[in-house]
Amino acid sequence: MVGADLRATAVPLRRLFAVSSVLFLLVLAISPAKNAFRPYRSLQRQYRKLASSRAHSLKAAQGYEARPVAIQQIWLRDFENRVDRCTTCHLGVADPLMAGAPRPFDLHPGTPHTPGGFDRFGCTSCHGGQGLATTQADAHGSTADAGPPMTPPVFIEAGCGRCHLSESVAGAPVLSRGRTLIARAGCYACHAVRGQDTFRSEAPPLATVPLKTGGEWVKRWLKDPKSIDPNATMPNFHLTDQAIDELSHFLFAVQVPKELAGRIEAAAAEPAGSSANGKKLVSESRCITCHTVEGKGKGTAPELSKIASTASRGWLLAFLREPQAFNPRTPMPRYHFSEAESRDIVAFLEEEFRDFDAPKGILEPLRVNQSLAENGRKLFRLYGCFSCHDPAGSASEKFGPELDGIGDKRAQSLDFGRRTDLARTLPAWLAAKLESPRSFADGLKMPSYGFNADDSRAVTTALLALGAQSVPDRYRYAPPQKPALLPGGPVGGLIQSYRCLSCHQIGDRGADVSTAPLTFEGSKVKRDWLVDYLMLSYTLRPILEERMPVLRMPRDDATQLADALQNFYVDPSLHEDPFAGRPASDADPAEGQRLYVGLGCRGCHILGSSGGYYGPPLTEAGKRLKPGWTYAWLKGPQRWRADVRCPDYGLSDTDALRLTAYLETLRPAASSAKPESAARGVR
Amino acid sequence: MSAARISMADWLRGSAVYRSIVRHGTADTNRNRSLVIFENLFLHVHPVKVREKTLRFSHTYWLGGVTLVSCLVLIATGILLMFYYHPSVPQAYRDMKELNYVVDNGLFLRNLHRWAAHLMVFAAFLHMLRVFYHRAYRPPRQFNWVVGIVLLIVTLFLSYTGYLLPWDQLAFWGVSVGTNMAKEAPLVGEKIRFLLLGGNVVSENALLRFYVLHCVVLPVALLLFLSVHIWRIRKDGGVQGPPTDADDPRQEEAE
Repeated sequence: MVGADLRATAVPLRRLFAVSSVLFLLVLAISPAKNAFRPYRSLQRQYRKLASSRAHSLKAAQGYEARPVAIQQIWLRDFENRVDRCTTCHLGVADPLMAGAPRPFDLHPGTPHTPGGFDRFGCTSCHGGQGLATTQADAHGSTADAGPPMTPPVFIEAGCGRCHLSESVAGAPVLSRGRTLIARAGCYACHAVRGQDTFRSEAPPLATVPLKTGGEWVKRWLKDPKSIDPNATMPNFHLTDQAIDELSHFLFAVQVPKELAGRIEAAAAEPAGSSANGKKLVSESRCITCHTVEGKGKGTAPELSKIASTASRGWLLAFLREPQAFNPRTPMPRYHFSEAESRDIVAFLEEEFRDFDAPKGILEPLRVNQSLAENGRKLFRLYGCFSCHDPAGSASEKFGPELDGIGDKRAQSLDFGRRTDLARTLPAWLAAKLESPRSFADGLKMPSYGFNADDSRAVTTALLALGAQSVPDRYRYAPPQKPALLPGGPVGGLIQSYRCLSCHQIGDRGADVSTAPLTFEGSKVKRDWLVDYLMLSYTLRPILEERMPVLRMPRDDATQLADALQNFYVDPSLHEDPFAGRPASDADPAEGQRLYVGLGCRGCHILGSSGGYYGPPLTEAGKRLKPGWTYAWLKGPQRWRADVRCPDYGLSDTDALRLTAYLETLRPAASSAKPESAARGVR
Repeated sequence: MSAARISMADWLRGSAVYRSIVRHGTADTNRNRSLVIFENLFLHVHPVKVREKTLRFSHTYWLGGVTLVSCLVLIATGILLMFYYHPSVPQAYRDMKELNYVVDNGLFLRNLHRWAAHLMVFAAFLHMLRVFYHRAYRPPRQFNWVVGIVLLIVTLFLSYTGYLLPWDQLAFWGVSVGTNMAKEAPLVGEKIRFLLLGGNVVSENALLRFYVLHCVVLPVALLLFLSVHIWRIRKDGGVQGPPTDADDPRQEEAE
């Protein structure tokens, strides 16, 4: 009976089995079929056709035709065995024949690392994305499970910043600008970033507020610092009126240190000075190298046109005499004005640089209410004010989240909160965070820095450069010059007091404002000239807004500094005397003069009464420059800095020596070129 | 010609190699059939005779068979996957991507392994339920029920140890949670967790341990118990037939 059952069901069962077997076979064929029709295969065949049609010779064309269809890859052993398969589709990146070809076959644009560096750097170390992948969506990172997506082209300089760690990177203006903005905004005060542990904000300590300014001014400042001073680095915290009130009471409840209070009160009691002389002193001292006056000037220091409605007379006078006593981290140098001269300057500021629209009592001190001040103290902590204004407190623990590795953060792990309008990408999030930090949710504390679209693009680029993926040490590029030690003792004190590092670089320390880094200054300029220059500096490059301020250095200080520069800050690889002991006149300065004319040096340098304004004038070159330095410069002007504009003419040794000899003969009119004096200069 | 062929066939049949493989001739007698089965390692887990009733294509589709077939698929795909996989950090996750992007049919291979694993666990559970509801755990099958339970546990362990191997977030947290649950066991909890992970956190050591368990220890255990299981099925009769006819009157009625 059972057997009959089985036989009866056998026929439909067999049919079912047959059909399902065929279906199963078809399903099994899907995977090999997908394999055979992978997009890169047809792209490689297209490339073969395109490249062989562009080839210059039959043999080259046949070479292209014979290329097998296969996955291409660049193996980067140094980058943890990373593998970049981008060249599987981007086949022509290193082939000059493919210039102007359609994507993805076109030649890579020329950069310092291409086409020579593909084997060393691959693609993803600059562009990001997923090198392992062999389909466009996965490689470019637009699928959810792929790694961090490619860096969008507008932020491409972030790739440079993964290895190039200095603030200013030649050829990457957006990145450099972003890094400068970050340092200036003081982001590192709240956010930890590797290598920036020693960062301290330049914001003033608040201990002298009650004697410096008034309650009304503080309230206006807290409301929106940039409305009072467009150069303000302090961001807008969007405080409520009540919070502003409480914070103001807290600031006026501070006990002013006795010593400083004494100085301010004594200065306030001094008689008024001469405003006319003050005006002359202000313009001579080149304050606008850092400050602005009604928007004119560099703008890294406060706007001066309303300064007398910001700070009291006593405070201004005491600060001008020794700025570093009030803020140990101020970039402002100490000028050696006499007591009377400083009174004159402040008299001028009081008369001219005043906010005439301000209410009368703007500098009236606030009558402190202790309970409001206590709330203010809590707010001071809540908003992390101490990070900038009392950095000792923030050195151990940062107020904001760490920024290291943010450049490789996945968009899925970011909190977009209310910002449903944004593309769900890291760059979009960062840009929005920078432009309106509080728009994501309630209760956020990050203030607004007033970044415009360009600024936020630059800062985003710099942030995207803070990758999480490791870069081998020997690929990390910091400027080749070793950080020079800053001397201690009296010379170190002078460098501190005159704030040389506010503008000049020494090694990798100091701000990149001046075109003359001091790292090798001792090899560059002659001592006697330097002493004179320090005592009364004059304009070397009239085209620049930033010029050396007139610090009125006493002769002792100037001699001491010049000697230190001559002894410490020398380039050891430089030959002091290119003329090998013979007088400069032996090296044919007349021929050098012909070279000077022939090369068109006149286009940029002033000599006598004619010439261009781009480079420094050479009228006194023989008095100012050491011939060893001049010779090395002529052999390669970019020896010390890659961004020097002076062209490298590829001069032969003889020609460079002739030109050096000629420049060595250039003296100010009083002691005009004599062979003996030139020879003395060499010694 | 014909005589030469016959003699060649005779020579072949007489050769030592042929006789060592085919030992009992092709005689179609019950005795010979029995001898063929008894004396062959690969066939002796099969009974000499199988009741037609136990081969019937029933509503539960031979759930044990489905489990067995998915197990065979897992062994085949697993061996292929082992050619591409390194149990090290971060190479393990990178190998997942290599399977996806570079290995021919690699994604198919990996998915086949994954889905077959899901199917095996699912089918093994259904198989157990069916055995339970058919009261097939009663004598004379009580021993095979216990073996079956052991097999189910080994299967679950295989499934769990395989979970960590891709070394992605899912794996990491899955194993973190799982081993933390083990930690909650009284007295020995901490020790069990330490033993499983080879440390106190889910790390490279855990990956290596799970890999060895997944590819060596547990498969060997599975194959051992599986052999016993199948052998007993043939001894005791499968799930299909009731232990005694009197035990299950409904089964009789249905037929």
